Amino acid sequence: MRTLWVLMLKEWQEAWRDRKLIWLPVVITLLAVSQPITQYYMPEILDMAGNLPEGAVIEIPVPSGEEVLAGTLSQLGLMGTAIFVLSIMGSIAHERNNGALTLVMARPVQPLHYIASKWAANAVILLLSFGIAYGLSYYYTNLLFNEVEAKRFFGSLAVYSIWILFTLAVTLLGGVFFRKVGGIAGASLVAVSVLSLCGSLFPKFMGWSPSNSLSQASHFLMTGKWEDSFGLMLGSSFVLLACLFVFTVLKFSRYESY
Amino acid sequence: MLLSVNDLKKRYGSHTAMEGLTLQIEENQCVALLGPNGSGKTTTLNMLAGLLSPTSGTIAFMGKEKIDRREIGYLPQYPAFFPWMTAMEYLQFAGKLSHMPKNGLRQTCSDMLEFVGLAEAGNRKIGGFSGGMKQRLGLAQAMLHDPKLLILDEPVSALDPAGRRDVLEMMMKLKKRMAILFSTHVLHDAEQVCDDIVMLKDGHVKWSGPLEELKNGRKDETFILTTEEALPEWVGEKEYILEYVSVTPKTAELTLRHLKERNLLLRDCMENDLAIVRFERKNHTLEDAYMEVVNQ
Repeated sequence: MRTLWVLMLKEWQEAWRDRKLIWLPVVITLLAVSQPITQYYMPEILDMAGNLPEGAVIEIPVPSGEEVLAGTLSQLGLMGTAIFVLSIMGSIAHERNNGALTLVMARPVQPLHYIASKWAANAVILLLSFGIAYGLSYYYTNLLFNEVEAKRFFGSLAVYSIWILFTLAVTLLGGVFFRKVGGIAGASLVAVSVLSLCGSLFPKFMGWSPSNSLSQASHFLMTGKWEDSFGLMLGSSFVLLACLFVFTVLKFSRYESY
Repeated sequence: MLLSVNDLKKRYGSHTAMEGLTLQIEENQCVALLGPNGSGKTTTLNMLAGLLSPTSGTIAFMGKEKIDRREIGYLPQYPAFFPWMTAMEYLQFAGKLSHMPKNGLRQTCSDMLEFVGLAEAGNRKIGGFSGGMKQRLGLAQAMLHDPKLLILDEPVSALDPAGRRDVLEMMMKLKKRMAILFSTHVLHDAEQVCDDIVMLKDGHVKWSGPLEELKNGRKDETFILTTEEALPEWVGEKEYILEYVSVTPKTAELTLRHLKERNLLLRDCMENDLAIVRFERKNHTLEDAYMEVVNQ
């Protein structure tokens, strides 16, 4: 247990030293907050940049706060996922390539410790960034549009986190398979986007998929209720996360040399 | 017996990196692993450090079949660290991973930095360290937790002469406290610190045993004679000289029929008024022994 904690502390320390602990929340927040703000100023923006003929009347229905927050989530679904993948892709490969991993594994450290520390430490960083970003977006939405129920905010936050954890799990699995960060990022992004594309193409059959958590979160925001497939999604996501984790540990422990 | 290795093998596909290593190390013994490049030294050390799983064979460490990594200190050939940490932070991190008690860890770490000569650089980032400093830090982290067995892979090959001497001196001090197993291809270094050697070639053990035995086993009656004048021909024709090799006109290597007959040779030289500059028994270095074993 202490080993795990020491390794996690090292991850956070590293994230702080290379300023990941700063730029990641900032970038995600900018991305998230831009949604309510651009929505709010959309008529003015169109007016300023639109080159519309004199006298044209623009009438855009004012979106509800719920809609704006759902927009925030879909904004994060695209760009946010990519940024999350890019921010953790080198986490294992880098230490493996430069040889620092050898000296860690020469000490009484089990593969489980090592992978679990990567997992837990990065999960905290990603979820913290998401929490800050989404929270600020919620704040602006309440300020500029109508007040959204706190229950809907927290519910969607929690469900969306499943998707983030899934992204993390896939990227770390890629990290033990490939040595090149390009390969890791490519493989993880392809896996994640194929899943999310299938989710939107065949919603009927993809209820189990973690990508379903995105639509669950928006649905909950709009209606305050979960879709039917919620239980299935929750169960299968946890099983999938556990499998990915175990698979990552197994693959890592089967390295011929560290 | 601290470490007892029996018939250790390692194969990568059809390539055999190590073919049947048997080795025993006692407490506080210092063993050098010699051999040309690609002879399986690093493979062997990685297996003993528990970083590489052997294809077959057994390793018993401190009476157990499992390698207790708490009691092993390991220095790879090219030690790599986290460049964003300072040397002090790294040692503390390593100490915690080896379950060292928190109390006094800081003090132990700074003592260790002092011991390897990095006291000044303790608070500098490792990213800015030179190769020699990294090697020193590597040695510090390997012996930090006072292991029973220190495994060093080419500890001196990458160092300049001063650094090399420092590291060898450290190893001399350390071998009073722990067993050391190190690989090298610098024979002179092996000669200075170790008691026993194991010679590898192409994944096979070619020779193993005490260093002295290797050197003594190859003593013969070869002498080197150097004179002021050019050596006359009659020297080589004496009946007590079995072999005569002229190295330069004034120097020759002679093999005598019998050890006692060296005085005969000296007397003959004096009688013929040759001024002797040098007359010595040819000292067999480890290098000669090594070349002989490797080329067998």
